[in-house]
Amino acid sequence: MDCKAARDLVPLYFDGELDRATARELETHLDDCAECRDALVALDALRRALREDAPRYAATGELRERLQAELGDRRPRPLRRMQRPWLALAASAALAFVAGGGAVLLWQQRAGTPIAHDLFESHWRALAAASPVDVISTDRHTVKPWFAGKLADAPFVQDFAEQGFALVGGRLDYAGSERVAVLVYRHGQHLIDVFVLPASAGAAPAATLREGYALDPVSLGGRPAAMVSDMDATERARFGALLAAAR
Amino acid sequence: MSTLTPSQNLVGDLALRHLDAAYNLGRWLLGNDADASDAVHDAFLRATRAADTYAGGNARAWWLAIVRNCCLARLAIRRRERGDVAIDQVESAKGRDAVDALLAGGDTEDAESALETAQRRALFARHVAELPVEFREVLLLREIEEFSYREIADLLQMPIGTVMSRLSRARALLQAALGTAAREEVKHGL
Repeated sequence: MDCKAARDLVPLYFDGELDRATARELETHLDDCAECRDALVALDALRRALREDAPRYAATGELRERLQAELGDRRPRPLRRMQRPWLALAASAALAFVAGGGAVLLWQQRAGTPIAHDLFESHWRALAAASPVDVISTDRHTVKPWFAGKLADAPFVQDFAEQGFALVGGRLDYAGSERVAVLVYRHGQHLIDVFVLPASAGAAPAATLREGYALDPVSLGGRPAAMVSDMDATERARFGALLAAAR
Repeated sequence: MSTLTPSQNLVGDLALRHLDAAYNLGRWLLGNDADASDAVHDAFLRATRAADTYAGGNARAWWLAIVRNCCLARLAIRRRERGDVAIDQVESAKGRDAVDALLAGGDTEDAESALETAQRRALFARHVAELPVEFREVLLLREIEEFSYREIADLLQMPIGTVMSRLSRARALLQAALGTAAREEVKHGL
């Protein structure tokens, strides 16, 4: 590949829009060409600057209230809209302490529902999309750094190909207003999304079934996560155990 | 209060969930708070009315596409009425506000670096605001909202090739503007 061809592909590579074979060819060129590497670095610097310094405007409380009034919204506000997420956490802890297990379950179901809804939606969207991932896994060393640039807290990334669960790649999505890392695995014909939940999301959503798909709360090396797939219960349990041991 | 259908409720919820993204898009495109609020409000009414036309797929992209259309409609009216382009809120005032805000809450950072950050952000905001609107939107959708080329093409209803060329042009313009700014700073010994 010459510089001219490479230079056109650098932005596509940077945006995760290249197929794997072309990406490999470009990487070979980048290994030898400082100028093309500089172009990549410049794109990254611009993105960083945009994310750190470009103005980001949040909707005013007044606008939000106006719109809620349009909906005739008398429902209680979801916890995730609270200004201080730790209050939500404190509230859940207090509830658990005072009222015991039954109340916790109730709280999880109520607060978990919108999150669970988002996770199912994200999974279905990914299945319908041209590619379920934003970054393709050549090995875990491509996936983890990709997240590291986008999230304060990059997840554990481990390939379980030997155990039958191959890491396909990763993407970012939203659960509520939080950006979450999604690790995508393949098991036979099944595509599995593992959502790494931010600490501020509070309790993981409860196990739910919806239209033949299952959401299971899992642990990813000790961090709260949720898995969405259409595998049967035995395979879900097996994969859950693998994830729990991830490092 | 009128009764809403389930799909209207669903759409209303999704719009509220992505309200900050919608508002940010409006603010980037229209340049001031009042117009951004009004455009998002228009979009919200339009989205809930058109709730039944939502055919699944990326909900955030569907909602932002409506917001964008409402913003462009406002821009068109504004151009017709004033015979000119967008009048942004005075950027220097915004820079001053940012400085004040940062100085007021400057417990964690020392005042000097807060001032630097505020100045850098004000300058950056100006460069972004000076980009033509068609470049600004594609930059926002890719770099901040992190949509894929395909999603941006669908959202803006244009060929994917146009998305790529606009994005590349937008990046080049902003890089050039920032590069010039950096050289100016060096020249003035700042």
